[in-house]
Amino acid sequence: MTRVRIWFALAGLALLVGLWMALTAPADALQGVWFRLFYVHVSSMWFGMLAFLVTAFASIAWLVRKTPKWDRLASASVESGVLFTGIGLVVGMIWGKAVWGVAWDWEDPRLASTAVMFFVYLGYLALRGAVSDPQAKARRSAVLGAIAAVQVPLVYFSVNLFRTLHQTQTVRPDGMTMSPEMRPAFFVNLLAFTLLYVALVQARIFVARAEEARGTTELAAGDAVVPPRLDEVHDV
Amino acid sequence: MRLAAVQPLVALARVGVTRDGNALLDDVVLDIAPGEVVGVSGPNGSGKTTLLRLIATLIRPDRGTGHVLGARLATPGAFGVRHRIGLVGHEPALVPELTIFENLDHIARLGGLDRDRVMPVLEIVGLAGAARRRIRAASRGMQRRVEIAHMLLRNPDLLLLDEAASGLDADAAGLIEAITTRVTANGGAVVTVSHDPSHLQGCTRVLSISAGRLVSA
Amino acid sequence: MSTMRQAREVARIDLVVEGRVGETIRVIVPFAVAALLVLPLAQGPNLALLRQVGPAVFWTLGLLFGMQIALRQSANDTDARRDLYALAGVDPAARFLGRTASGTVLLTVFLAVLFVAILALYDTPLTGAAVPALAMSVVLFAYGLAALATLAGEVSSGLRNRGALASLIVAPLSLPLVMGAAQTAAGIGRDAGILSWSLLLLATDIALTVVGVAVAGPLEEART
Repeated sequence: MTRVRIWFALAGLALLVGLWMALTAPADALQGVWFRLFYVHVSSMWFGMLAFLVTAFASIAWLVRKTPKWDRLASASVESGVLFTGIGLVVGMIWGKAVWGVAWDWEDPRLASTAVMFFVYLGYLALRGAVSDPQAKARRSAVLGAIAAVQVPLVYFSVNLFRTLHQTQTVRPDGMTMSPEMRPAFFVNLLAFTLLYVALVQARIFVARAEEARGTTELAAGDAVVPPRLDEVHDV
Repeated sequence: MRLAAVQPLVALARVGVTRDGNALLDDVVLDIAPGEVVGVSGPNGSGKTTLLRLIATLIRPDRGTGHVLGARLATPGAFGVRHRIGLVGHEPALVPELTIFENLDHIARLGGLDRDRVMPVLEIVGLAGAARRRIRAASRGMQRRVEIAHMLLRNPDLLLLDEAASGLDADAAGLIEAITTRVTANGGAVVTVSHDPSHLQGCTRVLSISAGRLVSA
Repeated sequence: MSTMRQAREVARIDLVVEGRVGETIRVIVPFAVAALLVLPLAQGPNLALLRQVGPAVFWTLGLLFGMQIALRQSANDTDARRDLYALAGVDPAARFLGRTASGTVLLTVFLAVLFVAILALYDTPLTGAAVPALAMSVVLFAYGLAALATLAGEVSSGLRNRGALASLIVAPLSLPLVMGAAQTAAGIGRDAGILSWSLLLLATDIALTVVGVAVAGPLEEART
């Protein structure tokens, strides 16, 4: 638990610094101050997708090794991924409304594919919630987690396939499209979201381990149940 | 004690129940006096549960007449005596997502029972330490104890037990015996049904049922 | 214990259970919002069309998915639980009112989420002044649908295919609710008279309440 607290403390500090840098970085020439939402939006979407890739890796690892730690990692990463993707979508809609005049552009394949991906992983969480047996839960989730990740590269490269309102990738093999004055704020926020992702996953795994331990203790020991007081039945 | 002078708690006169063309109970004659513990044994599908639910006023007879706790079955008066009847059914009547304590508290609130007695009753049945465990995480034996705790809360005049002893450990089985004694000592009666005759050894009278017909054992 | 207090207790437990199971929030609500993607993806991106059909889509999805939310409550009632309630002296009318109340809360939350999603995804226009009246029509719609679904659940209780049967009962009988709520909302947007449609909505809610309370006892007797 101490380790989790340390991660959260580091993430909190980095987020504060990132927020300050985002607010003090130069405004965009065209979009003005609304561009500052970029620092949250891009970081959230990146870590959303990264989280789902981690889930895919952990799901395949579980299918091969069948050890609980991979299932814990897979489900913890999906929860973070859904959170980050949700934040990214909401921030993106606010940004879009301010800059494009509409919160959602149906002609943009990046938006549509991201929304579909978001709902698929919501379905992953619902699936886990519907199964009580740990082995069955892990197996079904692992299959879905491995398959669903095919969406991630589709989402990421969708901006390259069509010319739409959506901005293309910021970081490309031939360099960054961002002006140098904005890059420090971008990288600090990226670091902050990295720390936040690690902290959230660690915390979730910690909770999952604690829940498993409590369940095992209860089933094995049965300390909570004692012999009844038969002589008091008449007096109650 | 001269039973003939005492008003029976249950009086069934040639009662029959038919559903979907099937005779679930046929020509049942049964009087149960205060203080009696009546056991009914029979194979699966013989009508044991139907008989219990009839006595609990949860089923209307299609033929014959029946009186339970002075009220005639299939009349509005039968609803008025329900609160004096306790049924521990074949399936647990508990909310799986609630804790053991919450289930009893919920029943107490609905029935206007004393909620302050919930924890003392759980202590008596040996579940006070598990009060915060959800029902779906509780074993069958624990769920049975919760149902018995419910009966202790309700203090019924007529206690109906459907396969209550099956799957119980010796401690919990002792609870059933204790509550049976309590009900009869207070002038009530108990009807217990089971497919296993060994679960009916403490009864004052044992009957058997087959294809909806009741006979003396 | 009085009927209203029993109803409150039934509603309370329904909401506690839903809070722990989370089927409405985790499954049905996301499914309904995901369904919003279908029309633009199938029809092609046409924002003007989406703005126009947004309200109709809202009430349609509100009805279809709202039915599932409201019917789910009575689907979880086992025979043993119903016997327990009967022997505990729970007034069948209290069970009806309690189920309707908890259904209203869940449906109102669901419709609020769906509403925000439609505003964002379909760029449906909304003025601030219209919000209170819209909220009122949503709540009245939610109550009516909850009451109707509870009634349908009781009528079809214990029957084979009860899920489909109950939905079949609810869908056509909900027309006054849908019309009243949709026309009230549309009238608010156009600054047109909404009184008659609001009264239709209110009258339907009252009628459903009266019928539900009146038949609760006979329906419970019919179980026997």
